[in-house]
Amino acid sequence: MKPLLRTAIAALAAAVAFSSFAQDRVVRIGVLMPISGPGSYFGVMDKEGIELALEHFKNGVNGYKLQVQYEDSACSPLQATNTAKRILDQFKPHVVIGEECSDASLAIAPILNEAKVVQLNVGSVTMKLTESGYKYTFRIFPNAEQQSLPLAQVAYKTLNARTAVVLHEKTNAGNDNAEGFKKPFEAMGGKVLATIDFGRDVNDFTAIATRIASLGKVDVLPTFALEGQQVRLSQALAQAKVVKGGGGTAVQMGSIWLPYGYDQKAGEASQGYVRIVQFDPTEKRKVVQDFVSAFKAKYGADKVPTHINAHAYDAILLIAEAVRRGGHDSESIRDQFSKMKGFEVTTGTISFDAKGQTSDLSVVHFVETQKDLSWKALNWQ
Amino acid sequence: MNDLVALVVQQSLNGVYLGCLYVMVALGLTLIYGVLNQINFAHADFVTVGAFAAFFTVTRFATKALGLPDAGAYLLSLIVALGVGALLGLAVNAAVFAPLRRGDELRPLIATIGVSVLLENFQLWLFGPIPYQFDSPFSRETIRVGRIFFSAQSVLVVTVSALAISALYLFMRFTFLGKALRAVAQDRETAGLMGINPNLLIGLTIVIASALAGMAGALLGPVLVLTPFAGASVIVKAFAIVIIGGFGNMQGTILAGILVGIIEAFTVQYLGSGLIDLVVFVLLLAMLVVRPTGLIAERKEENV
Amino acid sequence: MIAIAVVAALPWLITTSYWRGILVVCAMNVLLALSLNLVLGYTGQLNLGQSAFFGIGAYVSTILVKTYGWNFWLASLAAVGAAGLLGLALAAFAVRLRGHYLAIASLGFAVITYQVLVNWEKVTEGVRGIYGIVPPVRGTMALFYLVAGIAVVVYVLMDNVVRSPVGDTLRSIREDEVSAASLGVNGAIWKAFAFGSGAAIAGLAGCFYPGFVGTLVPDAFNIVESFTMMAMVIVGGMGTMIGPVIGAVVLTFLPELLRGFGESRLMIYGLALTLVVLFMPGGMVQAWLAVKAKFS
Repeated sequence: MKPLLRTAIAALAAAVAFSSFAQDRVVRIGVLMPISGPGSYFGVMDKEGIELALEHFKNGVNGYKLQVQYEDSACSPLQATNTAKRILDQFKPHVVIGEECSDASLAIAPILNEAKVVQLNVGSVTMKLTESGYKYTFRIFPNAEQQSLPLAQVAYKTLNARTAVVLHEKTNAGNDNAEGFKKPFEAMGGKVLATIDFGRDVNDFTAIATRIASLGKVDVLPTFALEGQQVRLSQALAQAKVVKGGGGTAVQMGSIWLPYGYDQKAGEASQGYVRIVQFDPTEKRKVVQDFVSAFKAKYGADKVPTHINAHAYDAILLIAEAVRRGGHDSESIRDQFSKMKGFEVTTGTISFDAKGQTSDLSVVHFVETQKDLSWKALNWQ
Repeated sequence: MNDLVALVVQQSLNGVYLGCLYVMVALGLTLIYGVLNQINFAHADFVTVGAFAAFFTVTRFATKALGLPDAGAYLLSLIVALGVGALLGLAVNAAVFAPLRRGDELRPLIATIGVSVLLENFQLWLFGPIPYQFDSPFSRETIRVGRIFFSAQSVLVVTVSALAISALYLFMRFTFLGKALRAVAQDRETAGLMGINPNLLIGLTIVIASALAGMAGALLGPVLVLTPFAGASVIVKAFAIVIIGGFGNMQGTILAGILVGIIEAFTVQYLGSGLIDLVVFVLLLAMLVVRPTGLIAERKEENV
Repeated sequence: MIAIAVVAALPWLITTSYWRGILVVCAMNVLLALSLNLVLGYTGQLNLGQSAFFGIGAYVSTILVKTYGWNFWLASLAAVGAAGLLGLALAAFAVRLRGHYLAIASLGFAVITYQVLVNWEKVTEGVRGIYGIVPPVRGTMALFYLVAGIAVVVYVLMDNVVRSPVGDTLRSIREDEVSAASLGVNGAIWKAFAFGSGAAIAGLAGCFYPGFVGTLVPDAFNIVESFTMMAMVIVGGMGTMIGPVIGAVVLTFLPELLRGFGESRLMIYGLALTLVVLFMPGGMVQAWLAVKAKFS
């Protein structure tokens, strides 16, 4: 009896110890994104991507469960600062995905770095995020220069453009992208006839289109704004006979911001639009096709994922990969990230450079909108 | 047509079109102020609700269920938005303006702010933040006269605005109800003594104003980027227009609205669209210094 | 006195970095609500432009420190002065207008200030923002004591003003400006006083804001903030001293407590605001007095 009892107790003790040990095998992921206010445009799509990715890892990775907590940072530095502190206090995450808006991302970077928690950014373009020496900050989203420099080069060299009018929304992201185009374009000898900025609340672009029409011969129109405004802008430009889609000669150019459905919404005004894409739902790579079909299965057959969905999805893939390779807390995950080279995700392959910025842009390519509104991939890069 | 002339004409037309849009929004505000001495901060959200109502009418209902052609569907949506606006006005009047009739002026103001936050976030919850694509068949057609262009939508907007304004004017001038409304605006107590029920008329005014807002939303839908925050983008300018034109003054509001539209178009041309708000509000403050009662002043005596 | 002791003890009771941060925000909001109280609560003038002065305080002090290397305290003094002067400028309009004209004019002022902050990029960096701002004192707890201490001082000063004949004068303007004029009250001077001091206090609150957040962008000073400040005064109880303080505390903590509701948070906020205004016009102070009356 006694030896049996002793073994039983030992077994029980071992079981208890083991289960509590097993419960500790969780990787906590905080997500700071705009859930309320006008910025919730991003938050909604981020959440879709993340939830979809989490389904893949329902049973954990490498014995670790992935636990996610969402917090509303409302695209504002004050809110972001507060929620960052809150999540650090209450949830104690190992990794924080955040934020979308550059101001908010820059506000939380010092807080997260001081707390030695990894910051994984999936949506801000500001150069400052990776130029400020933050050791725990990583970004999978191409920064302003990475997006705009190719545009400038293609505009000057391939399209032979010598004049440009830059259009951008009046935000950190819009400004940085516009600067990222202007500097190299002018350095090569091009002339920027005007830089026209507009707030996110501007709806009617007829006056702007008229102004552009009065500027003389414009070769390219690099534009950096969200889809809703871009549609209205393109339509106005077509009406004013400025762009190819309306009978003019100017070529609209854009960065990875514009999602796949834009061309259908803008109609014939989008003809001839040249832009770089990073996430292309028609790409044949298995990762992309699996993502698209899973997305449609979960959210509806008529919904096509945008790059915001894709980047959020990739963030989870990346974290899971780091865990698979042995990361289980902030330090080890940080380690894995800095060593990450050539990991394939829907938006390309991830290799972080020394500053934490994704440096492999091999998937990024140019497309031109055809008459039937489909994309024609171009080999310009 | 030489270049500068064509440009000036084009931007002026753009301005008139914009101005009409603003007038449609501002008219309701000025009506409510004239009769009730109240500002409705939720007015912008009535516009947004109207826009959504129109959108869903066109996309879900009119073409599919009733099989109407595109143009007919859009025109129907204007009427629907009108009705929805009216209902909303009725509700807000019953819930906010009527109970707060007595007492100081500030409370209904704050209450309308609360309603505004409520409406915006309710729509956010219902529709989500991602913009809806509202295209009317008219906005896709461009009409060209020489080097000048405008969309069929702008013609529609100007026409509908003109009709609405005329209808309102005739109503106020020549019908019994209209005259009663003006009486209530001038002196509520005396009007009451004359056998007019001020509360009923005030309610009516709010319903009319909100109906106008709803219809403005339907007209604005194809212009705006349609999100729950769409109305907020026009409301601040609408307030400025109401003041520049003279609070409670219909003709003033119309004049001010068109003026602001034209100023906006030319500011974009020569200064940059980032400065629009700045220019409009500096103008506003200048007006208040020079002519506080507005472009077309209405004398209002204050009795001690 | 007890209140001060409680307030002083708070950071010891609340130990998480997050809630301490909220305490700092609360102290700033109390200052802002008090600043508006003089103009709105006691003088009855509808000032919707308070967010502009908050912003002016924040930007002037930050720019002086960062670009010109001023000492924080001197910079703050300058910022408060700037805000106060601009408040007087707004008052120059205010004296000629009443009621809703003033409301929209002050709104216009707020819009113009916001646009200047956004467009004058050379000086303010516009939407790009200013980064790496350090607070005047290290540590959230110390910052809280600093801001709360200033709030207490302002409260005491304002209380004295309100209890003095000046308070009666202001109240007379709120009640019936025309009759007050017939009694020899120069409405213009007193309105200017209320506006100017209110603006200066808001500017003072603004000096601490950038240090707390670390980054400064114009978006923090848009018109919606004015509405929130107004809500604090009204929900707390206009025309009383303790009302705005209560209002500030409630409206700071309420959104935080509602976080659990996620997307419905702001909807509930709007609903709460509407209901309070509809059913409790005197704000929470009135409700409290009513409850006290019932039980005495």
